[in-house]
Amino acid sequence: MSNRKKSSASAKSAPRANREAAGRGERPPYLGFGLGLRPPHYRDILDGNPNVDWFEVISENYMVAGGQPLAMLDRIIERYPVVMHGVSLSIASTAPFDEDYVDGLNKLAKRTQPKWISDHLCWTGVHGVNLHDLLPIPYTREALDHVVSRVDYVQERLGRQLCLENVSTYVQFGQSEMMEWEFIAELTRRTGCWLLFDVNNVYVSAFNHGYDARAFLNGIPADRVVQFHLAGHSDMENYIVDTHDHPVREEVWDLYVAALERFGPVSTIIERDDDIPPLADMVAELDYARVIAERVLGPRRAGAGAASKPTTG
Amino acid sequence: MKLKDFQDRFQRAIIAGDDAILKDIPDGPHETKANLLGIYRDAYVLRLIDVIAADHERLHAYLGDDNFRAMARAYIARHPSRHPNARWFAQRLPEFLREQEPYSTQPVLSDLATLERALNDAFDGADAPVVSMTDLAALPPEIWGGISFVRHPTAISFAVSTNVGAIWMALKAGKEPPAARVSKTPARILVWRHETTPMFREMSAEETMMCEEVGKGARFADLCTMLAVYDDPGSAPARAASFLREWLDAGLLTRS
Repeated sequence: MSNRKKSSASAKSAPRANREAAGRGERPPYLGFGLGLRPPHYRDILDGNPNVDWFEVISENYMVAGGQPLAMLDRIIERYPVVMHGVSLSIASTAPFDEDYVDGLNKLAKRTQPKWISDHLCWTGVHGVNLHDLLPIPYTREALDHVVSRVDYVQERLGRQLCLENVSTYVQFGQSEMMEWEFIAELTRRTGCWLLFDVNNVYVSAFNHGYDARAFLNGIPADRVVQFHLAGHSDMENYIVDTHDHPVREEVWDLYVAALERFGPVSTIIERDDDIPPLADMVAELDYARVIAERVLGPRRAGAGAASKPTTG
Repeated sequence: MKLKDFQDRFQRAIIAGDDAILKDIPDGPHETKANLLGIYRDAYVLRLIDVIAADHERLHAYLGDDNFRAMARAYIARHPSRHPNARWFAQRLPEFLREQEPYSTQPVLSDLATLERALNDAFDGADAPVVSMTDLAALPPEIWGGISFVRHPTAISFAVSTNVGAIWMALKAGKEPPAARVSKTPARILVWRHETTPMFREMSAEETMMCEEVGKGARFADLCTMLAVYDDPGSAPARAASFLREWLDAGLLTRS
């Protein structure tokens, strides 16, 4: 552990020019069609040459000292572009940043040279406790100012723009002064952060809160979206839970079509975290996403990721 | 309400079952606000039970599903996660089981959790270049006495009071484990990582002593001297060589 203990996010300490530089970089490249890297697939990925353009790695899984996780990661990054995706940045928390965690992200980024680093627009706990969940916030002007200052601070610490994902939510709050998409649009306008548009999460939240998923879609600034997530959910009749334990559902594929129409070619992955099927099944599902993208965008635009197809060695 | 107060209230709703936050949540279009908040409450506990189960597969099998889940709930209530990485959430489980009734009345539970924690820590512990027999053979014999080694950074040893090794092996093979026995003299277990696989075995008192000396950077000649004092002096160099061979084959040694 470093002795840089938890200190509060003081965006004030960063010279303005630096903050703006960190928040205004070039748009990351289009990577094509990828998967979330999961340990049960290590062997098949390395022994085969699956039709996967890139991998998203869960940052926390590789924030360890050594052994198999880092050995596998090193072999993956020799062959594929990767993106780091974390779950514990807690960007919307009012608790001080865990500086050790941010140091850990930087250390891992040095190793993996990710095309971008993402986390979620949420908080994970206060008072030193981590609930290991992606918790909702009220969409207030106060919360927006707070999150803007935290994103500015993290972007300065990472020396690059952060990419933030919309989460699935189950409750809304009476205090909210704007809709989620308005909050996100304003956040990216003020900080220059990129957006990870989780198509399934929009579907889940829209059902749970009774709004139109297309309104969400149309409220997001198209030029800020650099990644899509696709995943399966569990329909509990009166609400939907984002469980990542099923294939992508038909309604979510429909929304993916609408997302492609609005945002154009965007680097896409399918996430699966439970009841993980063999790699071949995931690749077949990914092929389905390719087919849809080709239908909506035409083969040339959808296939731009071919430039970054895996090369061996 | 300020964001800070809101988060404090929401967290208490999840961890402590406090309902104050419900005042700020409207009913959903298809479901009551109490049930919607319940999704977060349930997910919190279920997710952490899964984390403990993933890290303690044998303990889970030994206790059975119902007992394991009850135990995990008690642990979650007692030790909320304080680390951004769930990988370390279950780190205090061995101590919890040793101290908390009714689990403390079955020392095998804490021993099992200690063994599994050590194996987990070995799995993703630090890397270090391992010395092989071939590396050693390449050295001129006259410098052997002066060579010292360092144990692989993942290698640790600890005392157990039960036949936990045999129980772990049976559970791994999916067999009925032998009855737990508390031994009169505590056994010593060595855990380390060989290439990418965590390993464990019991150590004799003599090997324990030797292993500790190696951990302190003792030279090969000193190890022979110590073994001569410990038991039959005539066979001491051969015993030292045999330990050395075993440790080299197991990938336990790195050069200092």
